Order: sequence, then structure tokens, then C-alpha cells
Amino acid sequence: MPRSKRHTERYARQIDTPGWGAEGQKRLGASHVFVAGIGGLGCAAATYLAAAGVGKLTICDCDLLELSNLNRQVLYSTVDVGSPKAPLAAARLRALNPDIEIIPDLTEIDHANAAGLIGDATVVVDCLDNLETRVALNRAAIATRVPMVYAACSELTGHLSFLRPPDTPCLECFVSRLPPAVEPAIPGVTPATMGSLQAMEVVKYLTGIGEPLAGRLLILEGTEPRIDVIQIERDPDCPACRGLS
Amino acid sequence: MVIYLRSGGKLRERLKPDVDQYTRRVEVEGTPSLNEILADLGIPDGLVAFAFAEGTFRRLDYRPSEGEIVTLQPPVSGG
Repeated sequence: MPRSKRHTERYARQIDTPGWGAEGQKRLGASHVFVAGIGGLGCAAATYLAAAGVGKLTICDCDLLELSNLNRQVLYSTVDVGSPKAPLAAARLRALNPDIEIIPDLTEIDHANAAGLIGDATVVVDCLDNLETRVALNRAAIATRVPMVYAACSELTGHLSFLRPPDTPCLECFVSRLPPAVEPAIPGVTPATMGSLQAMEVVKYLTGIGEPLAGRLLILEGTEPRIDVIQIERDPDCPACRGLS
Repeated sequence: MVIYLRSGGKLRERLKPDVDQYTRRVEVEGTPSLNEILADLGIPDGLVAFAFAEGTFRRLDYRPSEGEIVTLQPPVSGG
């Protein structure tokens, strides 16, 4: 099948979404999304971004696959245990959509390299699993002025926001400096839900549909179940974005 | 005065809800901060990251008013 016909058919069921159209699809195809972490959140977010036709995806994760990842990290197979996750995910995503560029990156994100890793990305997706690296990514997103879609989860609780300071708070304006006391339980359904919502925020931003979750924090409490969307504001004393204008 | 604290997950076990599965009625003297209220309830530092009330983010130095329902959030950073 010719590429143009394949392109039309592949995206036919989303292009008719009001506000999307051929123009929105073109914008997705011209975009570069940096996915930081390809664990539970990243597997969900990257899958839907690849399927939607984001033109270039960088998948950055230095970890090797562990058996305990497989309850939630659905891009991998049991035989993959012990292998680096980023190339495995890239191969699965290429099989899903061979018409986009997917770049696996095994670099461990830190304060020194984060801005360089983000590079020319249009959006950063924070799918990380620890506060220290999230802070490094947040600082880099601020420095490069690239918007960041944040999500985090624990048990059946999930948080989500679209961050683009100075128009919105940055991560450190509202996220606790305290790490959880113990490694949290994470049933697969929680990052699957939150990663999918991250992909929705990215797609909305790139196509221009609707309004991003800016200045607001979505809180999923799966036990009740309940979803709250609360107002969040910049912290004038924030160590990351204080004085940014 | 009386305030209501809500929470889910593991925090709920420490909060000991008595109004419904998620909510505890708390009587306080004066207008203490959430930090002070949580300390009085024996909830250790670090188990609550922030709170929200009436759709707005609240830090732990927030002082709830009479009858307010405040939802507590644990630190969440997993992925």
C-alpha cells in the first residue's frame, strides 16, 4: 500500500475528531515528544503517542527490565527480563507504527544532562518513578522552555498536570519535597490510566484541541472512585521557577 | 470547631475514618494549621504531602475553617 494511502487509513478514526483534521495530524507528525521513563506510565503514554502518529518519539530510560515490572509495563514480555527497556519499547512501538521515528536512549537522566537530552523536543512527558530525577527534568524543562506533562502514581492514586511556567506552576511549586517512605505499590491499572491521560494532554496540546490541564492538578482516587481537578498556583518561593517571567 | 479530613489509600488506615469510609470528623481548638492537626492525630511527618479544599491546593500550613472538608494527599512519585 502506498505510504500516503496507508497514512490516511491509519489515522482515519482520529482525524474526524472535532478540531483535529488533516492539519492536526500534520502537526502531530511534525512533533518530537521526549518520553522520560518507559515504565508503567511511559508504556501507556508512548503507545498512544506512537499510535496517534507523533512524528518523533525519544524514549529515555536506563533501566533493565525486571520481572516485577511486568504487572504494569505492557510493552515487554517475560523473555525480555534482564534486557534494557528503551530498545525493547522502541522495537514494539516501531512494530505498532513503522511510519514514525523512535529513538531509544539509555542515558540516566540527571541535572547535568537533562536539558541536552530534551534537545529540540516539542513536549516532555514525565513518566519517571522517583522525585530526584523528576526534579532534574523539571529544571531542564524550565531552562529549555519546553512544556512538560507530569503524572505520578501510587496504589490507586494518580496525579496529572500540564506544566509550562511562567504560565503555570512548575513541578516544584506543588510537589512535596518528601519522597514516599517506602517504594509504593503500583497496580498496573493506575499508570495505565494516568499514562493514557498524559498522552491525551500531549495530543491536545500538539493538535490544538481543547485546553490543556494548565494551572490545575487532576487527582484520581481509584478506591472511591473519584476524580478531582483542583487549582494550583505558582509558589513565589519555588526554588526552580522563582522569578521566571 | 469541627473540620472533616478525607483520604484514600494507606493514609486512610492512619486517619481512622468515622463519618464514612474516607472521612474523619475532627474537633479542634482555635484555628490550628493542618500540620498541627495531623500531629495531634498522631499522623507522622511525611505521610501527607499536601491537601485540597473546595477545589484548591493547600499546603500543610493551611488553617481550615469551621465545617471545611479537607482532602489529604500522600507523596506520590511512582510511575
